[in-house]
Amino acid sequence: MVQKVEFKVGLFIIVATLLIMASIGYVAYKKGFFSKVYTYTLSSNTAENLTEGMPVVFWGFNIGQVSSMELTERGVLIHIKIPERNNRVIRANSKFVLDKPLFGTSRIIVTTDNLNDPPLSPKVFPEITVSNDINELIKKVQPIAEKLDRIGASVATLTANLADPQGEVTRILKNVETVTAHFSKKESLLEMAVGTKESVKSIQDILSNVNGLTVRMDGILKRVDTLAGKSDEEIYGRDGVFPLVRNILRDLLAKLAKIDATLDNINQISVEAVDSTKDLKILRNSLDETVTAIGTLVDQLDRIIPFQDKPGIKLP
Amino acid sequence: MIAAIENIGRFTLDTSLSLRNTLTFAIQVIIRLLNLRTYNSASRMVFINQFYFTSVQILPLFLFVAVIFGSLVNGMAFQVIKNLGLYDYLGRLLMGFVVTEVAPFVTVLLIALRSSSAINAEIAVMKVNRELNMLDTFNIDPINYLFVPRIINGMLSMVLLSSLFSLVVLAIGLFVSSAVFGTSVDAYNDTVLQAASLLDIVIVLFKCATFGFFITLIPIRLGLSASMELTSIPVVVLGGMVKVFLSIVVIEVLSLIIRFI
Repeated sequence: MVQKVEFKVGLFIIVATLLIMASIGYVAYKKGFFSKVYTYTLSSNTAENLTEGMPVVFWGFNIGQVSSMELTERGVLIHIKIPERNNRVIRANSKFVLDKPLFGTSRIIVTTDNLNDPPLSPKVFPEITVSNDINELIKKVQPIAEKLDRIGASVATLTANLADPQGEVTRILKNVETVTAHFSKKESLLEMAVGTKESVKSIQDILSNVNGLTVRMDGILKRVDTLAGKSDEEIYGRDGVFPLVRNILRDLLAKLAKIDATLDNINQISVEAVDSTKDLKILRNSLDETVTAIGTLVDQLDRIIPFQDKPGIKLP
Repeated sequence: MIAAIENIGRFTLDTSLSLRNTLTFAIQVIIRLLNLRTYNSASRMVFINQFYFTSVQILPLFLFVAVIFGSLVNGMAFQVIKNLGLYDYLGRLLMGFVVTEVAPFVTVLLIALRSSSAINAEIAVMKVNRELNMLDTFNIDPINYLFVPRIINGMLSMVLLSSLFSLVVLAIGLFVSSAVFGTSVDAYNDTVLQAASLLDIVIVLFKCATFGFFITLIPIRLGLSASMELTSIPVVVLGGMVKVFLSIVVIEVLSLIIRFI
């Protein structure tokens, strides 16, 4: 019985302990407890909004955390710890931004443009830039507030003008009142514009004369239209000038074409004549050489028969 | 008026005295726990028997409770999370609430109901029957022979059973999460691991050990306070159980304060 109890107790303790140790070991392994941890140092002008344990985020994933901070002569140095499996995202060109969202806790966001760049040297202390949602919001709201301020000032000016008896708005209203009073006294806008009824009558007479002139001008223009129609018939009609000129030109073009062929024949003949003159030149050269040879022969005969009279040779 | 003030003063003095006696007794036990000469074959046998009755015998009932409780808690909590669209908080709920708070609390309640009351009554009966005097007569230290094995048993049982409870609830959480949210094993693991913190686990284990220490120490001390009459036994058992529950609440509050400092 005792052995049975001892076995059960021993078995339970061993199994339970193994289960617990395995679970804790698994959590520790997944949390990177057994993996190598790289420490990098960042610099900042202030430790405001920075806390130990603050997450370091890359593409939305927690890749490490702030392990410690220290105040030195060169500013605040922030030490971050990155497990080995996440270390490949920390490169020489990595930028570190302290993100302070409007809601929620602050965090350090890592951005790396090229993951193939060389790793960040532990001796280099990159500076943390600050991204402040509240300040960004204030920056966006500030121009709107300024515009609202200007609108408010304009509204204040308008209301002041309205309230001022000598203000521009009051003067405009008075002018409008005067104009409406004039409207109520005069019979027409024209009378209000020229001032007297006589002037209005004169303008009406002028307008009547202008009407007569317009009727006469219409008649003249009709006659001009008739003349223009006739001229068109004489110039552009079937027996007009333009068709005649066109026929003459067609005939001329046909004749010019014939002359062009004749000129081509003449050119051919002249080329052949040139070739003929080349043959004549050769014949002449041959005759010249023959004459020269006969001359030479006569000279030699003279030398052989000195007292004989020079015989005359008739050339062909 | 004076009587009322006297009552308040008496109550305060009694409570202070009781607390001081408990702490003094706790220090004595801790010193013995750290002394290697405390551990011998006799105390080992007592420990094995106590552990068997506290942890092994209760195991089927405990696992059944863990499965039922885990299914209920996970089912209800996951439905609420789903309705509110707070799936991101699933891991925090499991690790921050179920594992670190619910599991130790349910375990300590079960052990206190079953073992603390038994220890309290056992020690009181031994006191009434003058068995403790008999041990003294034979020069057997009751702290080494009776109390230390029970306290070690309480601490170890609490740690192991609470951890088992957490593992069962997490395993059920996987099934419920898969059924409610359709999540994969990897996604569930990632969610839970993201919320898990080794420091929190260490604090939970330490809390369980502390629970175990006090839910056995207080019944022993209250059992020792029984008079030589049989009628004092239910009185000290009643007082002991009330103080056990008070100690559970105090430890729970202290652990929360430590976790969130």
